Amino acid sequence: MESLTEKMPLTEPPQVLLHPNQRVGADMVRWRKAGGGKALVRAVQDPAFVREQIRVSDLRGLGGSGFPVWRKWEAALDELPKPDKYLVVNGNEDEPGTFKDRLLLEQTPHQVIEGAVVAALSIGANRIVFYINPDIKRPLVALRAALDQWQSSDLLELASTALGKPLGLVLCPGSGHYIGGEETAAMAWIEGGFPFPRGKPPYPAQAGVHGNPTVINNVETLAHVSHIVRNGGAWFKSLGRGAGAGTKLYSLSGDVLHPGVFELPMGTSLRELIFVHGGGLLSGKPLKAVFTGGPSSNLLTPVDLDVAMDFDSLRARGSSLGTGAMIVVSEGTGIVKRVAEYMRFFAHSSCGQCPSCKTGTATMSRLLDRIDTGEGTVADLNTLKSLCTMLPGSGRCHLVNGAVLLLDSAFRHFHEEFRQALH
Amino acid sequence: MTAMTKGIYFTEALARYRADSELGPLPEPVDVYALLNAYHPDYLRDSLVKLAVGANAGDSCQRELAELLQAEAFIDEADLAGTPVTDIDVLVIGGGGAGCAAALMAAEKGARVLLATKLRLGDSNTVMAEGGIQAAIEPDDSIQQHIQDTLRGGHHAGDPALVSIMAADGPEVLRWLIQQGMQFEQTTGGDLHTRRAGGLSTPRLVHCRDYTGLEMMRVLREAVIQHRSIEVWEQSPAVELLSNETGQKCVGAVLTSLLDGRLRIVRTRSVILATGGLGRLHLNGFPTSNHLGATGDGLVLAYRIGAQLRELDSFQYHPTGLLHPAHLSGKLVTEGVRAAGTLLVNALGNRFIDELQPRDVVCAAILRECSEGRGIRVDDGRVGVWLDTPRLERARPGLLEKQFPNLMTRTKIAGVDPRKQPLLTHPTLHYQNGGVVIDVNGATTVPGLYAVGEVAGGIHGRNRLMGNALLDIISFGRRAGAAATANRDRGPKKVTLEHVNRLRRALTIAGMPMTLRSPQVLPDYATGGAWNR
Repeated sequence: MESLTEKMPLTEPPQVLLHPNQRVGADMVRWRKAGGGKALVRAVQDPAFVREQIRVSDLRGLGGSGFPVWRKWEAALDELPKPDKYLVVNGNEDEPGTFKDRLLLEQTPHQVIEGAVVAALSIGANRIVFYINPDIKRPLVALRAALDQWQSSDLLELASTALGKPLGLVLCPGSGHYIGGEETAAMAWIEGGFPFPRGKPPYPAQAGVHGNPTVINNVETLAHVSHIVRNGGAWFKSLGRGAGAGTKLYSLSGDVLHPGVFELPMGTSLRELIFVHGGGLLSGKPLKAVFTGGPSSNLLTPVDLDVAMDFDSLRARGSSLGTGAMIVVSEGTGIVKRVAEYMRFFAHSSCGQCPSCKTGTATMSRLLDRIDTGEGTVADLNTLKSLCTMLPGSGRCHLVNGAVLLLDSAFRHFHEEFRQALH
Repeated sequence: MTAMTKGIYFTEALARYRADSELGPLPEPVDVYALLNAYHPDYLRDSLVKLAVGANAGDSCQRELAELLQAEAFIDEADLAGTPVTDIDVLVIGGGGAGCAAALMAAEKGARVLLATKLRLGDSNTVMAEGGIQAAIEPDDSIQQHIQDTLRGGHHAGDPALVSIMAADGPEVLRWLIQQGMQFEQTTGGDLHTRRAGGLSTPRLVHCRDYTGLEMMRVLREAVIQHRSIEVWEQSPAVELLSNETGQKCVGAVLTSLLDGRLRIVRTRSVILATGGLGRLHLNGFPTSNHLGATGDGLVLAYRIGAQLRELDSFQYHPTGLLHPAHLSGKLVTEGVRAAGTLLVNALGNRFIDELQPRDVVCAAILRECSEGRGIRVDDGRVGVWLDTPRLERARPGLLEKQFPNLMTRTKIAGVDPRKQPLLTHPTLHYQNGGVVIDVNGATTVPGLYAVGEVAGGIHGRNRLMGNALLDIISFGRRAGAAATANRDRGPKKVTLEHVNRLRRALTIAGMPMTLRSPQVLPDYATGGAWNR
């Protein structure tokens, strides 16, 4: 393991989202002094320029999808308002191990709001809904204060004039359900219902909130918009490493010395994140596995340490970047228990409208709990394996797929551990 | 000449002793704080170290305690694999008076309760409380006076909110205890009999002979065993608490078993720590009056999960622990004996302090006599002073036998008759004044975690008055039991050791060694150190 702990040259990572100038909290005066608001002025003059820069920048949906932002925007731009057009800022952030959006909302709320207003201008949206996890108290306070400052600011007036109709900024605390982060579920909650996801199509860009064309973007995605507009899409793209574009907030947690949020070039290797920025593993234990993007994706193992952490490279490995959360697990941690815990999370989070997901996640959770507490049998393990082939694709949203993906990859990498836990 | 070799030899001093000798006048009272500063063990600055990590980083405490607070945990995530899980509403850790009161109250409020105790139910310091329980019930007494006495006795370091609520609970606590079936001494008229104690402005001590705590434990233990909603796990010490995934909420505990050594996970909405004190750490080498399990586990567990502690450097040394015979070393002679009029006499046959001063003052005065050569020395070199029981017997014949049967039995077995021979006594490590910071409901600074009894701090300031411990455990025990039941959290609980990782990070960054493991669970001399490896 010597090679893992070897010191690597520490290059100063580019900080754009978390630049000290930006981290002023809900203080509009300081934020304007640091250059805040310029992107909005630019967007008022030339919305087409904004769209072009976003396309050039290769900005992706950083909430986990990795879908190119410009294509989402293009689709919404082509729709006529019926009579409104919505932009939803998704800050539901409820996945285990993810804590980047709350940091942005608390420390740079104006950056997020400006990005949202710029986005609204370039797609012609006249209603912006900030859809935020209700359990993150301090970020909510900061965002509320920042929104109050916007309501009476000249920037909002400028945007409304350019848009030709009033631009509404609304804060809508979410439901507190994990499933509420799914885009159709978010829209259902904003409309006043329980956050049930629904099937697609119609896509939100065609018929979203109250049937209006809707774009839903993650907090981090929109926060990037303003400096892309200021400095150009090519500049942003060049911040990335390899195939990755721009920077990414990685939420590092688990058995590392320095857990936290790190803004690093998209495409940084897992090794650099853990051993340079994270200070290495706690108590010098060897690395066992990494849960990426929260629980709903494949596990990474020590052989994946040098994979570039961008959407495409991880997808090629059969994993996904997800929200950029990396939960590090060292030797000495039982995988079975961890997977059982995540499955409990999925079973609890299932909204229950698709029977296969409702009973599937609950059954998987129950079987895993049995195995974890030393009462499982070979039959239980075989049932779990069968479920892994039966369940994927059977739900309206991806919850059940994510649950299976995790279990399946845990089986693949740590099958022996499951066998040993049997009765 | 060191303190150890000073003093007059035991047999010589005993031969010289006369119960009817003329006692010299009490010396002029010295400045209390000067006395404490010079002789009380809490003020031995050399034995204090600063904590480097945790919620109390920067505070000082005794080296023995600091080592445990800043040690590695016993268990790792890997140890939890395949561990059986128990789900319960309220987990009470500790089977003494506070734990039983909390469990009973929680069960009365409708919770399913698991009471886990390190040794057996009732193996505690509660049973050793001899003097009594304070409650302002006399006509010329008041709650206000009780509050004032308690705060003054604690050198005004206590939290007035906690003290007020405890004093106000006093009469109700007595009523509850009587309902549970507890016996108290009565006057001929049938009222509860009260007596005086050190630091009290008026008689306020309600008691049952000289085994009040034992009597209390008898009824509480029976009530707990009989309650159908309370499950009791004996010989099941807690080795770690469990936290949620951010490590900031307590969601359960890991218990082990002294019988089979296996771990068990308990998931719960609320954990009530009622683990008692730490006498068995033998701070500064003092003997202790505490029972075998008093190793400060609760402090360690609470500190590791992030709870704030207070008055960590403050301990009560009971002035009159037995020194002779050697196998009773550290055992208490109740303050009630002094309250009844027994005097303290040095080797020269002189009184040296008002015996009913607060305990810390009397203790410092005894240590002064010992180190200045006016003590009585025994074979192993330790030094003490006389507790002049024969003189009391002369003044009030029969009183000892009637009011202090516990003491009489114990000394009789050891072959000493306190009616004829004075008892050789020396301060003994008795009580942890500080502890986990709590509010009036026993809630700590960590959500889901409650602390009651000796493990909690803030009530007794820097010195506890006699009789307030028994009141404290019932008053706050009942409050915490009710509050813990009312705590209704939703959602699945992910149980992790994230708080342990947090401590490991902090220790690594602070460059501290992580060689020792804690909690201690049992003293090394009881296990050959098996728990600490």
